[in-house]
Amino acid sequence: MRNLWLLLQRNAFFLAFIALLAVSLSVLFRHNGAARSTWFSRTGSVHSKVEQQRHQWSNYLRLAEQNTSLAEENAELRARLLSMEMETGWEEDTLRGWTVHSGMLVKGPDGAPLSLSLATPGQDKAIEAGMGVLAGGAAFGTVEEVGEAHSRILTLLHGAASWSCRIRRGGPVVSLGWDGVDFERLQLVDVPRHIQAQRGDSIFTSGYDLRFPPDILMGTVLESRRTSGADFISISVKPAVDFLSVRHLEFIQHRSDSERVALAAPPEP
Amino acid sequence: MMVLRILLLVALQALLLRDISPLGEWTQPQWALWALLLIPPQSGAFVKLLGGFAMGVFLDIALGTYGQHMLAGTMLGGLMPALHNLFAPREGYEVTDRPILRDMGSSWLLGFTLASALVYHLVLMVVTEWYWHLMPAAILPTLTSACFTTVCCMVTHMIVYSPERRKTGS
Repeated sequence: MRNLWLLLQRNAFFLAFIALLAVSLSVLFRHNGAARSTWFSRTGSVHSKVEQQRHQWSNYLRLAEQNTSLAEENAELRARLLSMEMETGWEEDTLRGWTVHSGMLVKGPDGAPLSLSLATPGQDKAIEAGMGVLAGGAAFGTVEEVGEAHSRILTLLHGAASWSCRIRRGGPVVSLGWDGVDFERLQLVDVPRHIQAQRGDSIFTSGYDLRFPPDILMGTVLESRRTSGADFISISVKPAVDFLSVRHLEFIQHRSDSERVALAAPPEP
Repeated sequence: MMVLRILLLVALQALLLRDISPLGEWTQPQWALWALLLIPPQSGAFVKLLGGFAMGVFLDIALGTYGQHMLAGTMLGGLMPALHNLFAPREGYEVTDRPILRDMGSSWLLGFTLASALVYHLVLMVVTEWYWHLMPAAILPTLTSACFTTVCCMVTHMIVYSPERRKTGS
């Protein structure tokens, strides 16, 4: 205490100087608009930084608490999951306006350029021609023809079909096809030279063909090759669906499909 | 005595002398500064500091500037001990030395007055302009005003402490 008093005594002039400067500045800030706004903006930015830092530390210190809460929630969800039975029927997805029906692949593509696939169900479960077909959440093909209990599927592995897609989400719209050679390689056809595609880029449905909703995964870019002098580049795509092992399918149809098809059809002369 | 002198000069500056500025913003003198400069160099540092602060308070009240002169006066009062040390003669100040021409000589008086006026005017410029981008345009008028303040203080000094008047008085 005595040392502190001695220290204060030794620096009394400096402390008085600072105190009087502070008094002067407070009067200045109180009555000078420019000085006051500068003061508040500077102190405001410092205050926000301090507050941000404090918030980060607070979040960090609460991690253990949040972790415990998540673990408890996880345990509860797992208990509920284990007590549930697997449902066999698919329910209508009313959120995005698409109806989903489950199905089973009976005959898959055999690697021939124009091979077709068969699946169940057919008309008995309201399957219609033109519906999109997914496998594991990725694009598989479309229903070409429907029988009483079976449907004929035109898959991505069909040499005569082309599919509207996008390179990356929101990227340019191009056509996806298969040259009938390697069933692990689809081709993006007629891609203009200015379009950039890197290995690993995802290919999504564009939604323009009315069979699939947009942003359904179709595959990933394997290779992009540019031939000198050509106006187009050739891009190989690895399909997202493993056509050799797929069994379960999902038939999807927009609830306003008939209206969309009718409006999209060219007018009759 | 010091407080009375400050009050008198502040009143004079506020009522009569504030409009004496022959070249506008280039020559804006601070007459009250002369009262502060008359504090003897051997006085305590607190006297100088409080003197500067008091002069600023009186000027702010008289001129309605709210804090500008207070800050400049406090700064000058705080730096006055250092300025006195800077301009101290080799053998130091005598106990009877007063900051007048007869005791300290013309070069000391001129140098000390100019240095003090510069400090005061520069601080005043900073708090008046406040924004950095306005400072470059204000620096030259500030320097010329400091020189003009020095001239005014020297003239006042010569009038009040003129050698002839002392001879007549004695």
